[in-house]
Amino acid sequence: MVFADLFFIYVFLPLCLICYGLAKKLSTKNIVLIVFSLIFYAWGEPLWILLLLFSSFFNWFIGILIGKFRDTPRAKLAVGGGILVDILLLLIFKYSAFIVENLNAVSGAAIPVPQITLPIGISFYTFQAISYILDCYWETVDVQPKYHKFLLYLSLFPQLIAGPIVRYSVVEQEIDNRSVNATDLCEGALRVILGLAKKVIIANNLWSIVNTFFGKDITGLSVLGTWYTIIVYSLYVYFDFSGYSDIAIGLGRMFGFHFDENFRHPFACTTIAEFWQRWHISLGSFFRDYLLYVPFFGKPRKYFGLFLVWFCTGLWHGAAWNFILWGLYYGCFMLFEQKMGKKRMKKWPIVWKHVYTKLVIILGFGIFYFENLGQLGQFFLNITGISMIANSAPFTDPMTFSSLRNNIFLILFAILVSLPVLPKIKSYFLESKNDTVYAIGRVGSVAVCMVLLAVVSVLLVDTTNNVFLYFRF
Amino acid sequence: MNDFKDLDLDYFAPRKPAEPEAKPEKTEAVDAPTADESAEPAERRRKPKPSRRELLNMRLSVLSVGVMVILFALMTLYLFLFPRSTVSQIENRNLAEFPKFSFASYFSGSFTADVATWFDDTVPNHDGFKNMSNSIKNLFGMKMFASTVSTAKPETDSTDNTDTSAANGDTQTTTPANGTVSNNTNLLQYAAGRVFPAVSAADEKMGRDFSTEDNSTLEWVNNLLVINWDNHWRCMEAFGGGGGTAYANALNDLQSKVGSGVTIWSMPAPTASAIYTPKNGIDYVGDQKECFNGVAEKLNAGIQSVNVVDVMKKHAEEDIYLRTDHHWQARGAYYAARTFAEAAGVPFADLSTYTEESIPGYVGTMYGFSQDTRILNDPDNFHYFVPASNYVASYYDTSFNYQYEDDLFADVDTANAYLKFLGGDSCIVKVDTQMKNGRKLLVIKDSFGNAEIPFYTNSFEQIYVADVRYLECNLVSFIKDMGITDVLFTMSAYSVVGDNADNIQNLIAQNAGETITDSHIVPSVTPKTVMPTATSAPTTTSGTDTAANTTSTGTEDTSSAKE
Repeated sequence: MVFADLFFIYVFLPLCLICYGLAKKLSTKNIVLIVFSLIFYAWGEPLWILLLLFSSFFNWFIGILIGKFRDTPRAKLAVGGGILVDILLLLIFKYSAFIVENLNAVSGAAIPVPQITLPIGISFYTFQAISYILDCYWETVDVQPKYHKFLLYLSLFPQLIAGPIVRYSVVEQEIDNRSVNATDLCEGALRVILGLAKKVIIANNLWSIVNTFFGKDITGLSVLGTWYTIIVYSLYVYFDFSGYSDIAIGLGRMFGFHFDENFRHPFACTTIAEFWQRWHISLGSFFRDYLLYVPFFGKPRKYFGLFLVWFCTGLWHGAAWNFILWGLYYGCFMLFEQKMGKKRMKKWPIVWKHVYTKLVIILGFGIFYFENLGQLGQFFLNITGISMIANSAPFTDPMTFSSLRNNIFLILFAILVSLPVLPKIKSYFLESKNDTVYAIGRVGSVAVCMVLLAVVSVLLVDTTNNVFLYFRF
Repeated sequence: MNDFKDLDLDYFAPRKPAEPEAKPEKTEAVDAPTADESAEPAERRRKPKPSRRELLNMRLSVLSVGVMVILFALMTLYLFLFPRSTVSQIENRNLAEFPKFSFASYFSGSFTADVATWFDDTVPNHDGFKNMSNSIKNLFGMKMFASTVSTAKPETDSTDNTDTSAANGDTQTTTPANGTVSNNTNLLQYAAGRVFPAVSAADEKMGRDFSTEDNSTLEWVNNLLVINWDNHWRCMEAFGGGGGTAYANALNDLQSKVGSGVTIWSMPAPTASAIYTPKNGIDYVGDQKECFNGVAEKLNAGIQSVNVVDVMKKHAEEDIYLRTDHHWQARGAYYAARTFAEAAGVPFADLSTYTEESIPGYVGTMYGFSQDTRILNDPDNFHYFVPASNYVASYYDTSFNYQYEDDLFADVDTANAYLKFLGGDSCIVKVDTQMKNGRKLLVIKDSFGNAEIPFYTNSFEQIYVADVRYLECNLVSFIKDMGITDVLFTMSAYSVVGDNADNIQNLIAQNAGETITDSHIVPSVTPKTVMPTATSAPTTTSGTDTAANTTSTGTEDTSSAKE
């Protein structure tokens, strides 16, 4: 099931909220959430729900073992075995086709390429499981003795299929001790609607622009057309994914969970390092906390560690070379910024910093988009103007201007919202000492969100199940 | 992430207590969500008296939640209580149906997906929401609307069929072909049996060439061209070009199998972008004339090619293509049919001998695809031309089992106006005419061909019509067993270069060697008593209620020979 869908909004969610509200005890509420989460997952993956159940049971059991053999070599064995199995599952279900294809290409062998459809959300819940067993081992969290509570953590439907990668430590206390008041419900619902609006009103329509230009062979596409489309695509990825995170955080809030923010206006960054502190935070912090410390690197491990992290970040996004390239591309800029040093970077004029970061990010999304490496090469020929000089591709074309004119308000609005403007407006009202201003802000935000919900509903009639981009990962 | 100060930490050492930088994001004050600050339930419980602001906060929250629940409940009730839509007129399709449950469909995930699709698709008042959605999308940018439009060339009034009836909103009106009644010299030869139009395509002058004019209204909307010519919006697919090799190979193959007694004709139907693309868009649209010439070069000697792109261009200022649909108007089909008839050396009745009828207010598929309200608000006046001559049209299923006799024009509602011709694509149709020239034509077509058929009723003794996508008989057997003398392939440029061309090869291969018999022999068709003569022709064609009278015979005798 997807969030941006009338069936979810008007059938699944109300049913779930009603059942949740009717349940008196927290333990019953937890059962309600587990049941609805499993229905939610099984709706899209009637078969691979077994994998989710296995993975949750296995990792819960590893946690138990770690607790039992605390401070003995067996605990080390348990955590090692647990991580190995988790990574193996990920390799089988997500990367086997990619690995076999490349093996075939390199060795000339003809191993049949396995045709496994990627179970939805496996990248997210596997990472959550790994974080749990490592945290158990490091004693940063307590071992969860009850399987159903661990299953609740792993399968909780708001964050199950497209993140954020919620750490166990974040929800550990709230599994057994949480409450929902009117403010939680109100703020949560508003956040969900905001996320839906980001996805349905902005992202879906930006995608149709991208598809117009990049949906076919881009050979011969004009220089400006390529720039235009890749900028629109960058905005699209942000709104698609951050919209999903908003919905997840808002839904969590409505059930009394407080997830960490996953996006903090990444396009407002002034360095690439800052970009990754603002973009998909839960993934970046996962690699920082769990991968950067892998001990087998010896002396030059600083650089190995860095590039391992960025190799994995890229690979996590998809089983294709362009994603690996994309990760390493960021690794290079991180290294560059480290070598430059924070102090020297700070001295750059602010305009220059924005130009540099936005350029890196936008070109990066070009690598991110084109899984076909031939088309990726063509993209760089187009965007640098080499194709214009070498193959007399046009500099501009009427199609680009036509599309820009038809979507100018949408794009400008998207850029505005991608910068930290809304929080400024929000804090003006909600942090006001004047009660009237505060009340206007509260009532106004509800009114705006109800209009947004109406628009979202109308637009959803027009789109049949437009899936979130991050489903792929 | 670039924070390496803890790099020397032992991976396997316990890390309790939790590192402070586990959540460094929290410290960033850039735009921390204000929402999170208000809710700390544990803390609130300890306070005996809530502050004024907290009280206000709780009251406003309760109020907000109350309002949201009520509005949300109303929307949910609307979705559940009102009758669900089943058909979309705008998108010209039946909406999704509730899926049948089976274990196979469940475990493949298609059952659950289809349930959600059904729910989303059959929202009450689907088309109303769809139109609303398109209006919302209009706000995304600056779409040009007609009032601000100025095209490069001022409007010319010389066309004899501007859409005037669309504006006055009449229901199906019968209008005689205005402006052509007086032109009856071409009818003089009719009685003699071989009629050619007064003006042959070759002699006509070149008309207005839209491809030489810039038009600033050109826009790309959902991969389609939207343009305003002479204050009317038009939406068209930009032809992508293609080699048509599969098409040519199949025709060559067919020629080698049917022998020399049968002439194979290839007349691809150009689509609107061949005519109405302005100069500033021409680089982005495939050249259909060149494409068709390329296809013709691939055809073996003996296969006759008819390229009608130039003929269409000569009549570009007439209403030869629908503006809101991907098809042509009957008038466009007429010029193509005339060109073919001339090449085939068969008689052909001038358009003025037909009775023109129209369906105003037609909005075709291009609105559904473009979702552009300018197309919705500028509907077409759909024209069709009823022949004066007598004919009997017999309808067969795709395996050539006789079904019923009927008109060449079906009763359709406005939204499906193009189905007027033969009632759609799927049937095999046999037309027996009053011509006695021994020529038997088989038309292999897609939907474009449907509009040509009425114009051949004065040209061939018998016409068989089969759709390239649906015919289930062996094509070679069909040609031989029915005694076909001419096979006309007439389908849109997209079918010639696209997947439909592959199907011609299937038609040749499927059921090879079968014997085909016609289960419904129509007795000789007699000319109507009001058969036009040199003097009476103009009067008979104007004003009579012709839709019914051409085939009032025989619509009842469907009981015979159904097997």
